[in-house]
Amino acid sequence: MADSISYEEIQRDIANLKKERTSQLALVWSRFKKNRLALIGGIIVTIMVLTAIFAPLIAPHDPYRTAPLRRLEAPSLEHPLGTDAMGRDLLSRLIYGARVELSLGILIILFEGTIGITLGLLAGYFGGWVDSLVMRLVDILRSFPVIILAMAIAGIMGQGVYNVVIALGIVGWTTFARMVRSKILSIKESDYVEAAHSIGESTSSVLLRYILPNAVSTAIIMVCIMMPTALIASATLSFLGLGVQPPTASWGSIIAAGRDYLLQAPWISTTAGIFIMFTVLGFNFIGDGLRDAVDPTSDRS
Amino acid sequence: MNKKFYLNRLGRTVLTLIGVSLIAFLILHLAPGDPARIMLGQFATEENIELFRARYRLDEPLPVQYGSWIAGVLRGDLGTSIRYNRPVGELILTRLRPTLLLTVSALILAVILGFTLGILAAIKKNSWLDYLTTVQAMFWISIPAFWLGILFLYFFGLRLRWFPIGGMVGVVSLVLPVLALGLREEAWFARPMRAEMLEVLNQAYIRSARARGIRERVIITKHAMRNALIPLVTMIALRLPWIIGGSVVIEVVFSWGGMGSLLVNSVLARDYPVVQAILLLIAFAVVMANLIADMLYSVIDPRIRLED
Repeated sequence: MADSISYEEIQRDIANLKKERTSQLALVWSRFKKNRLALIGGIIVTIMVLTAIFAPLIAPHDPYRTAPLRRLEAPSLEHPLGTDAMGRDLLSRLIYGARVELSLGILIILFEGTIGITLGLLAGYFGGWVDSLVMRLVDILRSFPVIILAMAIAGIMGQGVYNVVIALGIVGWTTFARMVRSKILSIKESDYVEAAHSIGESTSSVLLRYILPNAVSTAIIMVCIMMPTALIASATLSFLGLGVQPPTASWGSIIAAGRDYLLQAPWISTTAGIFIMFTVLGFNFIGDGLRDAVDPTSDRS
Repeated sequence: MNKKFYLNRLGRTVLTLIGVSLIAFLILHLAPGDPARIMLGQFATEENIELFRARYRLDEPLPVQYGSWIAGVLRGDLGTSIRYNRPVGELILTRLRPTLLLTVSALILAVILGFTLGILAAIKKNSWLDYLTTVQAMFWISIPAFWLGILFLYFFGLRLRWFPIGGMVGVVSLVLPVLALGLREEAWFARPMRAEMLEVLNQAYIRSARARGIRERVIITKHAMRNALIPLVTMIALRLPWIIGGSVVIEVVFSWGGMGSLLVNSVLARDYPVVQAILLLIAFAVVMANLIADMLYSVIDPRIRLED
């Protein structure tokens, strides 16, 4: 009986394989920490998230209090970034804008993530006609430019925060679905899933205990990769007048409002854009660092 | 094998086109409520709404409406604009040239810049140039198109007065919109190009060429670059929807009288026959570009046909 493997040995192998996963995660983290850009990205995003959470404590003024006599004032000690066309403090509006923009981003990701991960999981695991159906739908939706389809949907549903989320979610889930699907396909082929099947684990147990934990790193990367698109697209909708409506302080609509006063008050549009750029840049740096850390052979090594 | 690949691909294209037309059609019926009321606004009289419904056949069942819309499209009749009361096809036709001019120029700029930077970064791997290419690409993809447009408009138009701040008056007015659209897009070509070139440089035939003592310059221009060029076709097709999406926003910023500004104005005015037609047209262009790219790719690189 020397050449056949006992049940206990298979169990030990699975345990070892599981252990390997955790050490792999540690490896990913150590690689990520060494990436300077990713670290900068992490700092930027942390600052933005803290700004959004503690907006009422940080903002020097009420972002909604208008002062008709103090409109379009240049930056000063009292108003560090000046005032807008209604005399509101621009810095305070930008700080509150972080709240609006980040919560929009999170809601969009949650919405499109739920649709995308579910459909991607089903397509990847079951294959066959389920897979074809989902992938054809992905093909169809990806034939439209994201911003154009979202614009048309937001236009018909009317303005407002939730309609932005719905419009961008309906359009944006395809990226999630594709990434989850391909990840599932590769996990399905792996030794440990085969091993789990061979010791009689049930389908749901394989999906939940073996496949899902291994897709977690992919999911985190996906959030960082999808966040920039979600932020830029929602800001673009607000800029076009199809998203968050004034007086709500959103970076996109602040840029749109500042556009009419470019010569008198160039700081309105420029500073709001800098806020968007740095937030998006932060997520891009993190996403890039994570991608390199998980798969160091893919890009630079 | 060969024939099967092409037939399969064509079948998928037809399916996608049908799906695309369904989405463009159904968008109007996505919102709860009466499309006639949505398009005419809340102050429309009952009488007008009735007339409107009859004229746009909104009382008929959805499949019938879809059928007559598609039949019209196939005949070249894209419907009638509510706002301009003119055929949609006519409206789009006058706006097509400026949009093509803008997007094609921006695409050319993006491809040339991205290709050059990507190749250079791959050749000088891990040098400051490589690092700079990566970082600048990250910056470009983090900037919203509309803000970049506004920045250019402010600095080069309003401050320095080098270029007109909008409208379409000759070649000079093309410069800022093309830069705003193309520079951002360059980033999406530079990084995949770099990765592709690195992969090619790792191939056995490059190593054997080096072993045979062929000069590095010849290896790079004659052996490596040619093969790194092949995926460019696919890259362009993949980026096409994003360039078109960006052009819409850029057109609005620079008051460029193309299809993009027509689309935004039509969405804001709820002139949905125009919106549906433009959606259909753009998606059609994207689907066709993908088909052409796949076909070209399989001609240039026959290995790809076996994989499908």
